[in-house]
Amino acid sequence: MILPILVLALMVGTFGTLLVYVASLLGPKKKKTAAKYMPYECGLPGQETKKTNVSIRFYLTAILFIMFDIEILFLYPWAVAYRDFVDAGQGAFMFWELFVFIGLFVFGLLWEIKAKALDWE
Amino acid sequence: MAEIVLFYFLAAATVAAAVGVVMHENPLLCALHLVLSMLGVAGLFFLLQAPFVGAVQIMVYAGAVMVLFVLVLMLIDTNKDDEKFSGGNISALTKGLSVGVLSGLLTSIILRTPQSLQRSVTYEAYEVIDIAKLLFTKYVLAFELLGVLLLVIPVGVVALSRIRGGTHDR
Amino acid sequence: MGSDVFEITVNVIKMLAIFLLMVQLVPILVWVERRGSAFIQNRFGPNRVGPLGLTQLLADAVKFLFKEEFVPPKSHALLYYAAPVLALVPGAIAFGGIPLSMPIDIQPFQMFGSEWGPYTFKFQSYDLDIGILFILAISSLGAYALLLAGWGSNNKYSLFGALRASAQMISYELAMGLSLVGMLMLYQTLNFSNMIELQKGPLHFMFFGKEILIPFLPNWGIFYQPLGFLLFATAAFAETNRLPFDLPEAEGELVAGYHTEYGGLKMLLFYIGEYGHMMVASAVMVTFYFGGYELPFSLSDSLTSAVRGAFSSVNLGNVMAALVMHVVMLLKILFFLWVFIWVRWTLPRFRYDQLMDLGWKTMLPWSLANVLATAYLILMAGSAV
Repeated sequence: MILPILVLALMVGTFGTLLVYVASLLGPKKKKTAAKYMPYECGLPGQETKKTNVSIRFYLTAILFIMFDIEILFLYPWAVAYRDFVDAGQGAFMFWELFVFIGLFVFGLLWEIKAKALDWE
Repeated sequence: MAEIVLFYFLAAATVAAAVGVVMHENPLLCALHLVLSMLGVAGLFFLLQAPFVGAVQIMVYAGAVMVLFVLVLMLIDTNKDDEKFSGGNISALTKGLSVGVLSGLLTSIILRTPQSLQRSVTYEAYEVIDIAKLLFTKYVLAFELLGVLLLVIPVGVVALSRIRGGTHDR
Repeated sequence: MGSDVFEITVNVIKMLAIFLLMVQLVPILVWVERRGSAFIQNRFGPNRVGPLGLTQLLADAVKFLFKEEFVPPKSHALLYYAAPVLALVPGAIAFGGIPLSMPIDIQPFQMFGSEWGPYTFKFQSYDLDIGILFILAISSLGAYALLLAGWGSNNKYSLFGALRASAQMISYELAMGLSLVGMLMLYQTLNFSNMIELQKGPLHFMFFGKEILIPFLPNWGIFYQPLGFLLFATAAFAETNRLPFDLPEAEGELVAGYHTEYGGLKMLLFYIGEYGHMMVASAVMVTFYFGGYELPFSLSDSLTSAVRGAFSSVNLGNVMAALVMHVVMLLKILFFLWVFIWVRWTLPRFRYDQLMDLGWKTMLPWSLANVLATAYLILMAGSAV
């Protein structure tokens, strides 16, 4: 089951590496000037690049993503089994189960919106 | 036969990546090795006829948790802050202690594992639908409690985003 | 992979062919993109090299190969080189998991003096029961290529582009994953082949105990989950960083985003990765909502039996029939790829806060509502599909 995927990954990886390697051999070797080695800045002289303050929103988004991602993953097996449960007469129980779970989900989302954790000014 | 070769390959790759996590000095490279290690574990799940768990492993750990780690690490000046990640007596003590505890746990588990070659458990490939039928009937309370547990995350995030001071003061 | 030499060889060749199909579609798409944009904007586009500018692709490929090798100083060389290769891998693996045509049955036959067969070859690199879940999982790894490119090239524009791109990708992954849940409730499976099987025939379903049959519509997913399709398609645009969601590459602010410091062939690999993600998104859309490789009604059955009848050998007939259905699938995928290009040259770009608001505050609630409404309807109306 896993073997074809591994073989495919290996194949694609080799293809990419080979292309990059061949291109590095074929390309012309020119003199390396200081101007060429400056970080690209639209032709202007480079400004300092070291300390760039990045908005904390990026971390917040990533943390929230983990939470919602896990919740959505649980919906997949639920969705696949749902109609079997409906056919077996347990549909209402399953529906309310989901309703509570999604309710918690929505509560979290509303909390975030109210606390302005999702606002990008 | 092919399965055994695959198992040893994946296990070796997982362990090698895990060693890379500990050995590299650049924290970003450590995190990337951890991603490889996670993918190796996912491969082992696939080999155990549990593709659902394997895919979840890739999605949650490799695709979400480690993206967060890499995002955070990318914004630290790794050339300057290396000392903060390594060095110091307390840090060394903690490392030594955790290595000791972990190896002790592992050896005890290996020693307790029955070494017979006979398969005592017959494996059947678990379909997603079987997992769902167990999870949403027998373990329904755990499922709902997990929803409550995950609610801790937004609360923590809000607390985090309201901290004043530091580099992100507005 | 197979039980004997013949089966393993065919499977490996098949895998390579599907991957090369993906890679080969890229120059054609670049041509369509350039000529199409020129058509939309009332310009000529590239028309000098060859008829209609078609051999421009070849000229470009040669040019890419002979570009000067450049590594930015103070960058992390390994990560700088690894990023373009990694951009290629998730898309290629995901594309291999989608059935591009029907399975080919091969009867036993004689070759090299021994007996071979029977075999069944699937028209995909690998077939997993959890199909769509695995594709979503592998696609979520695409964020690393961008992050590594941004961090590895030691340029603040690259870094900001990478950050924006990854934050955007993960935000829209949620809406993308949720929008499919409604459809999964109806299909009761995660496997692509089973979904295609369920979409055969005219539109028919049970509604409050009555059987409803609409003979002039095919039994495609789009008619059950139009909102889900809309949400998925929008999220797919954001996932592939295409306009109107191409904030990571907003050239007015960020030069070219995460691939600012890349040139030549490494840049091309990023392109292949991006188009690869577009192809995966289109193929998933076609499989979920538009019947996969099947034609509506019983057209595909009559077409395949006509093709089979034209060949004396059963095996050759089966191969040819699968190839014909493969063309159908490709045409459907190409249609959605054209929509991607069309939209790119029609709509303006969002602002970053608008983009995040749309993802978290509009699409996420709507896809949740879609899930709940679908579940409620199934509960009330009984079995559907």
